[in-house]
Amino acid sequence: MTVAPAAGRTRGTARQRSTRWLGRNFLYLYTAAAIVYLMLPIVVMIVFSFNDPVGKSNFTWVQFSLDAWLRPFGALGLQSAVFASLRIAFISTVVATILGTLIGLALTRYTFRGRAATNLFIFLPMATPEIVLGASLLTMFVSIGQPRNELTILIAHIMFNISFVVVTVRARLAGFPRHLEEAAMDLGATEWVTFWKVTFPLIFPGVMAAALLAFSLSIDDFVITNFTAGQTVTFPMYIYGSYRVGVPVQVNVIGTIIFLTAVGAVLLSTVLQRRDRSA
Amino acid sequence: MSEHDSILGRRFTRRTILQGSALAGVGAFLAACGAPAQSTGPTTAPSSAASGEPAPSSPAAEATPSEILNFANWPLYIDQDEGSPPVSPTLEQFKAKYGTTVNYVEAVNDNDQFFGTIQPPLQAGQDTGWDITVLTDWMAARLIRLGWVETIDTANTPNFVANLRDVYKAVDWDPENNLRAPWQSGLTGLGFDEATTGNVTSLDALWTDDPRWKGKVWLLSEMRDTVGLTLLKLGIMPEDFTLEQAGAALAEIQKTVDAGIVRSFLGNDYKEGLVKGDLVLGTAWSGDMIIAKGEKASLAFNIPDQGGMLWTDNMQIPKGAQHKYTAELMIDWVYDPEIAAQLAAYIQYVSPVAGCQEAIAKNPDPEVAALADNPLMFPDDATLGTVHIFRALSEEEEISLNDEFSKVTGN
Amino acid sequence: MGQLLRRYRFLVPYLLLAPGLIWLAVYYVYPAVQMFIASFWSGSISQGFTFSFANWTNYTEALDRYSEQFVRSIIFAGLATLLTFAISFPLAYTIAFRGGRYKNLLLFLVIAPFFTSFLLRVISWRTILGDDGLLLGPLKAIGLLPEDFRVLATPVAVITGIAYNFLPFMTLPIYVSLEKIDRRLLEAGQDLYATPFMTFRRVTFPLALPGVFAGTLLTFIPAMGDYVNAELLGQTPATRMIGNVIQSRFLTNNDYPTASALSFILMAGILVAVALYARVLGTEELTSGAV
Repeated sequence: MTVAPAAGRTRGTARQRSTRWLGRNFLYLYTAAAIVYLMLPIVVMIVFSFNDPVGKSNFTWVQFSLDAWLRPFGALGLQSAVFASLRIAFISTVVATILGTLIGLALTRYTFRGRAATNLFIFLPMATPEIVLGASLLTMFVSIGQPRNELTILIAHIMFNISFVVVTVRARLAGFPRHLEEAAMDLGATEWVTFWKVTFPLIFPGVMAAALLAFSLSIDDFVITNFTAGQTVTFPMYIYGSYRVGVPVQVNVIGTIIFLTAVGAVLLSTVLQRRDRSA
Repeated sequence: MSEHDSILGRRFTRRTILQGSALAGVGAFLAACGAPAQSTGPTTAPSSAASGEPAPSSPAAEATPSEILNFANWPLYIDQDEGSPPVSPTLEQFKAKYGTTVNYVEAVNDNDQFFGTIQPPLQAGQDTGWDITVLTDWMAARLIRLGWVETIDTANTPNFVANLRDVYKAVDWDPENNLRAPWQSGLTGLGFDEATTGNVTSLDALWTDDPRWKGKVWLLSEMRDTVGLTLLKLGIMPEDFTLEQAGAALAEIQKTVDAGIVRSFLGNDYKEGLVKGDLVLGTAWSGDMIIAKGEKASLAFNIPDQGGMLWTDNMQIPKGAQHKYTAELMIDWVYDPEIAAQLAAYIQYVSPVAGCQEAIAKNPDPEVAALADNPLMFPDDATLGTVHIFRALSEEEEISLNDEFSKVTGN
Repeated sequence: MGQLLRRYRFLVPYLLLAPGLIWLAVYYVYPAVQMFIASFWSGSISQGFTFSFANWTNYTEALDRYSEQFVRSIIFAGLATLLTFAISFPLAYTIAFRGGRYKNLLLFLVIAPFFTSFLLRVISWRTILGDDGLLLGPLKAIGLLPEDFRVLATPVAVITGIAYNFLPFMTLPIYVSLEKIDRRLLEAGQDLYATPFMTFRRVTFPLALPGVFAGTLLTFIPAMGDYVNAELLGQTPATRMIGNVIQSRFLTNNDYPTASALSFILMAGILVAVALYARVLGTEELTSGAV
C-alpha cells in the first residue's frame, strides 16, 4: 500500500512527471546546452591540435599525434608572428590598464561635471564596429603619412582596450569600502600612503582582471589589426593568411596554449583571492 | 600637382609632431624588446623623410653583400625543413656563401593588398623596407609602369641571364629582361574530384547544370584567371580582347552564378573545399592540384580543351631598396639550376630556370626525381602552346574591369 | 603641500581622466573625423586624393551600388541579434537567479571564448559545419538529412556565426541588469498574488530592459560591420555583407572615398543609437557592466 501523497500534489503518470521535471529544470538544461555551444569551437580547436593531418589541411581527424606539440613553431613565420603578438599584447595591456584604471577610479569615486559625456565617450569604442575602428585609424595614418607597422597596431590596441579596462575596473570597484580609506586617514596616513597601502591592494584584483581581459583582447584581435598592420604579421593575421592554403596544426597548438594560460591566470587569481580573504 | 605636393608637405609636419610627442618612448621600448634576427616586418629605413625630401634611392654602389636582405614572398613558395621554427635550405646555403641573413616574410597574400602597403612609401619616394618583392605579372607590370622598380644590373646576375627560359623573354612590359626575374609560373585550368565528376576536359562543364556538381563549383577570385578562362570559353583570345568582349565574359560568369552552379569565388582555399568534399569542380592552379592530389588521390587537373592560362610570379627590386646588390645576388642564386631544382621540388609549380628539369631528374630520392616527368611542373612546348597570357591593361581598363568583376563576386 | 593639494582637489578626477581620454580623443575621435573627411575625397591612390564638398555624392553612389549588401547586412545582423538574445536571456537569467555558488564559474565560461582568437573560433565552426563534417556527417549517415544539404555557404552559417561571436556581449549586460534587481520587488510581486510568469512579465523583464538595450547596442551594429564570418562561413557572393565591401574597398581596391563613406554610415548609426539610449536610459549603465 502506497503512502498517501502530500496534500495538493499527485504523483501523476511517468509522462506527466517527466514533463514537470523538464519544466522545472528547463532553465538548467538550456544553460547547459548554451555552455556546450559556447565551448564547442574551443574544444574542437584543442582536439585538432593533436591531429596529424595528411598534407596541409587540418579539418578531418586523421590520427593522434604529439608532433605539433613537440614542434610548436614548425611553420614558417609562425614564431615571429607569435612574438609580435606577445610584444604588442604586453605593452598595450600595461598602457591601457594604467589609463583605464585611472578613468575607472575617477568615475567610481568622484562626481564631476561631464560625467555623462565621459560615460558615453568610453562606451562608444566598444559599440563601434571593429571595421570602422580599424578603417578610421588607417585613413588617419594614411593622411598623415605614418607607415603602418607594429607601432600603429600598438596604438590601436591601446585605444580599444581602454574602454574594456574601464568597464571591468568599475565593476570591481563597485562596493569599494571607502570607510577603510577614511579610517586610514583618520589614523594619520597621508593620501599617498593611503593609496598605496589601502586602496591599491584592494583594487588590485580588479585591475588584474582588467589586465587579463585586455591582454586576451589584444592577442586575439584580428579586424582592427588587419587594417593597421601594414606588413607586420601578428598571430591572428598569420592565421588569416594561412587559412587559404591550410592552417598548420601548430596554430591550434599556440591557440590552445594561449587559452590555457588565460584560464590558468583566472584560476590562479581566484585561488589567491580566496586565500587573501581567509587570511 | 601643387595640391598633391602641399598635402605631402602638410603630412610630414603633422607626422613629425605626432611621432615626436607621443611615440618616441614607446618606439624605443619596442626596439629594445624586438625579437632578434627574425623580425616580422622589413627593417624600415630611417625617417630621413622628416625633412620633407624623399630619401635617396639605393646608396652608392656596394660591391659587398649586406648583412641582411628583406624578402617578401607568397606562402608556400620556398623550401623549408622540419625544424621549429623551420629554416629554408636555400636561404641557409645563401647565408653560408655570402654571410647574409635573409629576413624572409610571407607577407604577400594578395597582389592588391600588398600593393596597398608598398604604395605609400613608393609614392613618397621612400624605401619600402623590402629588397625583393614577388608579385604576379600584371602587378609587376603596374609597378614598372609607375617607375617604382630598380633596374637589375645584369652584370651581377650571370645565372639569370644564361638560364631564363625563352618563353619568358621579351614580354612587352619588360623588353630587356632587367626589370623583373620570374620566380615561379603556374597554369590555370580545371581542377576536379574525378571520383565524383569523372574526367572533365571542357570549360563548358562549369556552365552545365549537372547534379554531380551543381552547387559545388567554384571560380577563382583572381579576376584575370576567371575572366581569361571565360573569354577562352567564348572563343576569344585573352591576349587580345576588347572591353566589350570582357563585358560579355562577365555576363557569362554571372549566368552560371545565377543558375546556382557556382558556389563561391575563392583563392587558394578551394583546395580545402576539394579535400573536404564541399567542392568538386572549378578553376584551379596547377601547383595546388599537385599538392592536393597528395592529400586525396582522386583529385585531378586538366588544361581545358579551349585552352588554359599561364601566369608568373616575379621577383622585383622596389625602388629605393637598401640592399640592391645583395638582392641581385639572390636573384642570381635562385637561377642556378641546382638551387632551382631544390626549390621546385618543394614548390611544385613551373620553374622558369632552364636546366632545372635535368637537375631534378638527377636527384637521389626517386620520388623527387619522378617530378621531372610531371607535365604540370615541366610542360612541354605543345602544352605551353595551349596556354594563354592575359594582356596588359591600362589603368582605366584595370579599374573598370576590377569594378565590374567585383559586382559579380558581390564585393 | 597638503594645503595646495586641498585647494585643487576638484581637479583630481580630471587629472585621472585626462591621459585615457586624450588617447581616445587622438586615436578614436580624430580618426573618425579624418574618415569623415576622406569620404569626401575623389581621385585614386596613385594620383592622390583631393577633398571637395561636392563629393557628398560618394555617399549616394555608395549606397546605390551596395544597397543589396547593406540591406542584407541589416537583415543578417538583425536575425543574429535576435538569435543572440534568445540564447543569452535565459542564460543570463539562470546565472543571475539560479546561479548560486556557480555564478562566477558560469560567468567565466561565458567569457572564455574571448580567450581564443576570434579567427580560430570561426575556423573551428568551419570544421564543425563542413558538408561532411562533425555535425552534418553523422546526421547524413543516419539519413536525417539529404546528401546535398549544406550549412556552409548559406546565410544560416553566417548568421549563427555572428550570433556566436556576440553572445558574451549580449549576456553580460543582461546579467548585470538582472543581478541588480532588488529581490524584494519580486517577493512583493508574489505577495500581491502574482504568478511567477506575471512577476517576470511585469517586474523582471522591464527591469532587465536597460541591459537588453545595452546588449543590443553592442551587438547589432558591430554585427553589421562583420566580414570574417561572411568570408569564411558564407563564402558565396549571395552572403557578402557591407563589411566585406568596406574591407575590399579599403585594402584591395584602395578606394578610400567609397569605403570611408560606407564606414561612416555605420559610425553614424552607432552614434545615433547610443545617443538615443543615453537620452532614454541615461549613461551610468553604459560603463558599469560586469566583466
